[in-house]
Amino acid sequence: MAPIITGLSHLANPLATPEQLATSPSQLDGVPSDLEVSLRYAGARLTQIAGILLRLPQDIVAQAVVIFTRFWVGESGSLLEFGIKDVSAASVYLVAKNSPLPKSPRSIVNVYALLEAKLPSLGELHGEAMDYDPDSHYVSEGTYQASRSLLMKIEAQMLRKFGFQTHVATPYALCINYLQALDVIGRPKGEDVAARSFAYLNTSLLNPQLPYLTNQPSSLATASVYLAARELEVKLPGGEWWEVFDVDREELGFLVVGMLSTEGFILDEQKKWERRKIPMTVAEVEDEIDRRRILNGED
Amino acid sequence: MTGKSRWTDDKDDAVVAAQRKKEREEKKRAKAEKQRRIEEAQLRHQNEARPGSTPNGHEDSDRPAKRRKVTPGADEQHGESQPRELLRFDASGWGPCRHVDNFERLNHIEEGSYGWVSRARETATGEIVALKKLKMDNLNDGFPITAMREIQTLMQASHLHIVELREIVVGTSLNDVFMVMEFLEHDLKTLQEDMSEPFAPSELKTILLQLTSAVAYLHFHWILHRDLKTSNILMNNRGEIKVADFGMARFTGDPPPALTQLVVTLWYRAPELLLGTTTYDSAIDMWSLGCIFAELLTKEPLFQGSRELDQLLKIFDLLGPPTTESWPTFRRLPNARAMKLPPSPSPHLSPQQSLRRKFPILTGSGVSLLASLLSLNPEHRLTAEETLQHEYFRDEPRPKSKSMMPTFPSKAGQERRRRRASPNAPQRGDAPKIDGNMDSGGIFGRREDIEGGAGFQLKMG
Ligand SMILES: Nc1ncnc2c1ncn2[C@@H]1O[C@H](COP(=O)(O)OP(=O)(O)OP(=O)(O)O)[C@@H](O)[C@H]1O
Ligand SMILES: [Mg+2]
Repeated sequence: MAPIITGLSHLANPLATPEQLATSPSQLDGVPSDLEVSLRYAGARLTQIAGILLRLPQDIVAQAVVIFTRFWVGESGSLLEFGIKDVSAASVYLVAKNSPLPKSPRSIVNVYALLEAKLPSLGELHGEAMDYDPDSHYVSEGTYQASRSLLMKIEAQMLRKFGFQTHVATPYALCINYLQALDVIGRPKGEDVAARSFAYLNTSLLNPQLPYLTNQPSSLATASVYLAARELEVKLPGGEWWEVFDVDREELGFLVVGMLSTEGFILDEQKKWERRKIPMTVAEVEDEIDRRRILNGED
Repeated sequence: MTGKSRWTDDKDDAVVAAQRKKEREEKKRAKAEKQRRIEEAQLRHQNEARPGSTPNGHEDSDRPAKRRKVTPGADEQHGESQPRELLRFDASGWGPCRHVDNFERLNHIEEGSYGWVSRARETATGEIVALKKLKMDNLNDGFPITAMREIQTLMQASHLHIVELREIVVGTSLNDVFMVMEFLEHDLKTLQEDMSEPFAPSELKTILLQLTSAVAYLHFHWILHRDLKTSNILMNNRGEIKVADFGMARFTGDPPPALTQLVVTLWYRAPELLLGTTTYDSAIDMWSLGCIFAELLTKEPLFQGSRELDQLLKIFDLLGPPTTESWPTFRRLPNARAMKLPPSPSPHLSPQQSLRRKFPILTGSGVSLLASLLSLNPEHRLTAEETLQHEYFRDEPRPKSKSMMPTFPSKAGQERRRRRASPNAPQRGDAPKIDGNMDSGGIFGRREDIEGGAGFQLKMG
């Protein structure tokens, strides 16, 4: 089936304003910024895994991660009001609902219950998680009802926060278009370049600089192609080819540096949370903040 | 070290909790203040971006001296009443919904099947808008997908002849969600009921051209409206019509995904839908357009069937039943497989001739356009783009210019619109099946392979 076009400006994204990016409700609530970064990352990763377990295609999963990420900037959306697990679940539910592959509240609740049970540490967000069988885990009827109504409530709050603007454009299809336009597809190593570009686009969803909130998909696609081709030593046309895709050198440079930093960031996070459970709920975040206070000898 | 022992004392706990709460509240206050300034900055920014678009039009944005300073506290007195007009729907960003209390409801306009609509005034600007409350049925799945589609398609459709959705506002309850739209004085259905004569041919052409341009825009962008009818077409007193009610609309693709055939109000529903297709395309909107065209000629809806089968009969009665020649694939449609066709009511009349006889006032090119829109076979139906190029619009009389279009006193501006009975928009639920059990006129044979469950809402007689 041909892609279902999801909007007139389906290639463009609403972007966060500098003011929104500068406003972190979590930090105003006293969440240390490094903890916020960790939690945003963990939630984004959790969203990716849940999406895979729910057998959602890459593009829809990416949309859910972007919606998740948008939630924490600008007004409302404090980590002391909402847990990353709940917001992640609502993001997946909302995005899937708008897609050709909606998921029932029950599937969502089951998958997140499974993840909560199986993922004590952030380190594990990287390994075997993919092997879990989502149908192996059920919750009691009481838990289900409570989780479901929470899911609906957070969905409603997300919609209000976004002013019902839930459109997300992803760069994947563009990326393929660009590779075709640049005559990379079909050449030796063409497929590898495509795969590598997609890998950059996927990990960038986890990047703490939030490139999906600050740059248009066309720019993200261009930067990923640039990096992948360079890495695999596939020659692209000489000159400033990216200008054809409306990206200037400065933006490209900014994105390239950012994208290259993702891997190191992820390794650092993994190490940081190797032996500890990442706080997925508000109560756990509060405990973590208390723990740090005590470690720092406050109070 | 777990930290837990530190908190064994309940009293201590309470004190600490209270302290934290206080801290958070202070920070919240600071946050709110900051947010207020952000909004102000946005408003300022917006006024710069759109000269002359200040809320009440008094402030001239070309004169920076009049711009308000943003020193903290300086606006405390009128901070509350400051209109907050974020640019919500351009691709550049998002912002939280405002409260519906920013609007005063003036009068109820009309109750539809998916919500109700009222005329309202934005308190801060005095601007008149239409507020449509979204119906929150089936909350089991959270925010209804139909309402979501209505918002999303309308949000992204920006066209002179499509009603403008300005923003979504909310009430205190999570179920109170309203669309804020530009207000138009009339809808074509109510308007026609009060007109003594139908629109003049030149006026009809203007209306039809505007309508078709909107439909062409939607189809070009892969949006199906799926509920085109006169009550969903609004008209203002500046000679403009605008397509409204996107409650059935959705994005599609090529090839089209499987879609529900439970769309389009019965009288405007295309034959392929009546016959149960689930893979239809933009041609269904073009059929509705043909029905609207005919209705505007006489002020009477063209095919006023009482239920699916009757609707089909009325269509075949005027246009003749489909033949293997005119519509080779028609037998493959679910409800057509076992159908016995009525004998052609007037065997010697082509659809064109039949339409000419029914609409003697219509010119030759008009008849040809109408016949092409009302082609039973969706593949033969004109597209919106083709319709725009049709010679009917170039023939005399030429379409009237907008400024010459008639104006009418507004019902919506004063009182609730009166409505004559007409079938409501399709309800969600199981798709009706037309099968032998409903055969009253003897044209439908028995279908042996009737699926359990879904059918039988339609009882004849
Ligand atoms: N922007 C508007 N300005 C003025 N009147 C409007 C506006 N939008 C809708 N109306 C009036 O309200 C009526 C119902 O609106 P709409 O069709 O959007 O709601 P609905 O609940 O989906 O209706 P239905 O299910 O009956 O088609 C319209 O027929 C029209 O008379
Ligand atoms: Mg309507």
